[in-house]
Amino acid sequence: MKNNLKVERAKLNLTQAKLAEMIGVSRQTINAMELNKYVPSTVLALKISKIFQKNVNEIFFLENKD
Amino acid sequence: MKSRYLFSHKFKPFGWILFSVGIVLGIILLVNDFKFPNWKMNVFSLIGSDDTFSSTKSFTWELNNVSDEIASILIIVGGILVSFSKTKEEDEYISKIRMESLIWATYVNYIVLLFAIIFVFDISFFNVMIFNMFTILFFFIIRFHFMLYKTKRLISNEE
Repeated sequence: MKNNLKVERAKLNLTQAKLAEMIGVSRQTINAMELNKYVPSTVLALKISKIFQKNVNEIFFLENKD
Repeated sequence: MKSRYLFSHKFKPFGWILFSVGIVLGIILLVNDFKFPNWKMNVFSLIGSDDTFSSTKSFTWELNNVSDEIASILIIVGGILVSFSKTKEEDEYISKIRMESLIWATYVNYIVLLFAIIFVFDISFFNVMIFNMFTILFFFIIRFHFMLYKTKRLISNEE
């Protein structure tokens, strides 16, 4: 799975630390998601979609191998 | 996030203290062939045995050097607290690192034990078993904290 978290974050001018604080996770989690090293839970994905005010599937995308 | 079976973060420093005191006491005992420190105390022996190594009766009070028991308890209780107290920011990604480290530690622990079963015998094997009581906690603690350190370092590279 891929995501455009970094782009969306840049649009709102949020740092990793700020976004982490807003959704109540560690900075490592945001960083790992942006590096495509971690697939978040549905709860976390929904929290992120709420912050960016976009649908989940506009932020996270399936890849061919998924 | 709700994490089941984990202790609160405030137990972690307490765990480190117990764990380190236990290790230091354990090393002192190892160096002195389990004869020093000699803290004699009456203990209740549940299961006795009568062979070349010892002769104790079941369900009786016996005089015993309790320093090795104290070291073991400190290492185990301290190690459990260090391993399974929440980190400051325990969330789902850290829980994943925790679980993977636990699986990794279990594998490594038993690979080492299998190796010892095949190549180590008699009293030497008995020594391996003494270490093996604690190594799973050791391997987990090292691996988990190393992975946390690695993810933290990744962040500082990012900015």
